[in-house]
Amino acid sequence: MEYINIFIKASFVENMVLSFFLGMCSFLAISKKVKTAVGLGAAVVFVLTMTVPINWLISNYLLSENGIFHTDLTFLKLIIYIAVIAAMVQLVEMVVERFSPALYSALGIFLPLITVNCSILGGALFMDSREYELGEAAVFGFGSGFGFFLAIVAIAAIREKLRYSNIPAPLRGLGIAFIITGLMGLAFMSFIGIKL
Amino acid sequence: MDPLKPIRNSVGKKLWKQVEELEPSFKKDGMLHSLHSTFDAFKTFLFVPPTVTSKGAHIRDAIDLKRTMFLVIIAMIPALLHGIFNVGHLHYVANGMYPHFFDGFGPKLVYGLIHVLPIVIVSYVVGLGIEFAFAQFRGHPVNEGFLVSGMLIPLVMPPDIPLWMVALATAFSVIIVKEAFGGTGMNILNVALTARVFIFFAYPTYISGDQVWIAGLPESPDAFSGATVLGVWAKQGYDAMSHVGFSTVSQQVGYTPMDMFLGFIPGSIGETSKLAILLGAVFLIWTGIGSWRIMLSVFVGAFLMGLILNAAALGFDLSNPHLAVPAYYHLLAGGLAFGAVFMATDPVTATQTTTGKYIYGLLVGMISILIRVLNPAYPEGVMLAILFMNVFAPLIDHMVIQSNIKRRLARG
Repeated sequence: MEYINIFIKASFVENMVLSFFLGMCSFLAISKKVKTAVGLGAAVVFVLTMTVPINWLISNYLLSENGIFHTDLTFLKLIIYIAVIAAMVQLVEMVVERFSPALYSALGIFLPLITVNCSILGGALFMDSREYELGEAAVFGFGSGFGFFLAIVAIAAIREKLRYSNIPAPLRGLGIAFIITGLMGLAFMSFIGIKL
Repeated sequence: MDPLKPIRNSVGKKLWKQVEELEPSFKKDGMLHSLHSTFDAFKTFLFVPPTVTSKGAHIRDAIDLKRTMFLVIIAMIPALLHGIFNVGHLHYVANGMYPHFFDGFGPKLVYGLIHVLPIVIVSYVVGLGIEFAFAQFRGHPVNEGFLVSGMLIPLVMPPDIPLWMVALATAFSVIIVKEAFGGTGMNILNVALTARVFIFFAYPTYISGDQVWIAGLPESPDAFSGATVLGVWAKQGYDAMSHVGFSTVSQQVGYTPMDMFLGFIPGSIGETSKLAILLGAVFLIWTGIGSWRIMLSVFVGAFLMGLILNAAALGFDLSNPHLAVPAYYHLLAGGLAFGAVFMATDPVTATQTTTGKYIYGLLVGMISILIRVLNPAYPEGVMLAILFMNVFAPLIDHMVIQSNIKRRLARG
């Protein structure tokens, strides 16, 4: 029950994109087509699901005072988190390039840029500050990734539909994307306070 | 085709002459050219445009956007009339006067009119004003889309809502949700619904709680409560609804399922009477404007989720009394029926594909009940559920279409 609660909280109530507005750069840049959005969303799900528990292990067994080094190494936290994330992203990049060159070229620079996507580092830091257990951290990572996936795929479908709309010229492109993001945030507010 | 041919009576002919006389000054070189879209709006409002297509698809149907909108407004009239009477009825009952239904019919009607009409007028004036202004500046014809939204907005407001809030919410939703996206038919969220959500999040005390649903509650507000059915369920469990409802000067009045169906209970102006909404639904389905698939699947989804939660109530703890509410009660309570018939079926923001309509409706119904029961902060979930599914409607359509393409490719 606790795990379901964390999952729902991470993916709907405290959606990385729509309630914290983290990871906006790739969210806005890669959401023009559903197909590429699915690719990027899946990559983020994978990276978050892997990095949050790995970082949990590192932070609890290597960096903390009770870890194997018996010294407080928490000042290394940010660097090590980023290194783990970068390694995971490299892995994803190689897999995508090998199996789907079309998606690889469509995602372009934004695939390696997942490394510095704030929602992923944010996932690791939230895991830290909320003091989750290992299982909870894994569920939280997957839930956050799923929330990102849902949001980016939904906005991509909306933007595909909006290609036929007569949007005022100054708002075309990023302007309307920001407005849609805000309105989606309004819709996601419906889950605030849900508890199982 | 001679546009005058179908006009038989003399008033119509005179009016047409008037329109023809005015027309030149709105043409390209006329002095009123800048107002031509306003003129155009009123002209097509009065007469069917005499446009004859010369190539391409020839649509030989009298129905166009304006007439569609009018049919939807006709479907809303029962709910509106009931709402007007109900506002007056509850006011007098709560104050201990005319406790019986037919007593004081006149005063009740007048009181209701005084409270409801200003909201309708404000919503139309603000909304249509913005709509006309945008049409002038952007140089496109005035869209008729607001005719329906302007009637929906008053129907989902509590009777005592301050008028400036109605104006603000209407302005927000028309500008941000509709005109920024290009006007009628291009918005992604339902305009009327967003207006209500705007007030709900910006001024929550004016649109939730026990005190706002009856106009002019008696003095000393602590002694009186006008809790909605959902409010009672959320706080005291559903057993309590037979004796705890809203209080009058002399007694507490409870609710029965029949009350919930006929709708002489506190609530938003247009949402209380399921009978009036049913009449509207029949009319919408009969004219082919509202999608029966969406209406049906919203109710099925809500009922299913009610059953699931009932099972959960048996299996787990009973700390949430709301879990045990029988599933069919959910269909009669709150704004579910109104949302299902008038909001979820909005052809612009709902899904377009047939399969998509079933999926969309089911999810709207299920999420409505989920929010209603499991979210202690919001006793009513229909409006938020529809808004949430509006966001995902394009995605559902996309997936339905893609799977269709795949299936047909596989068939070869």
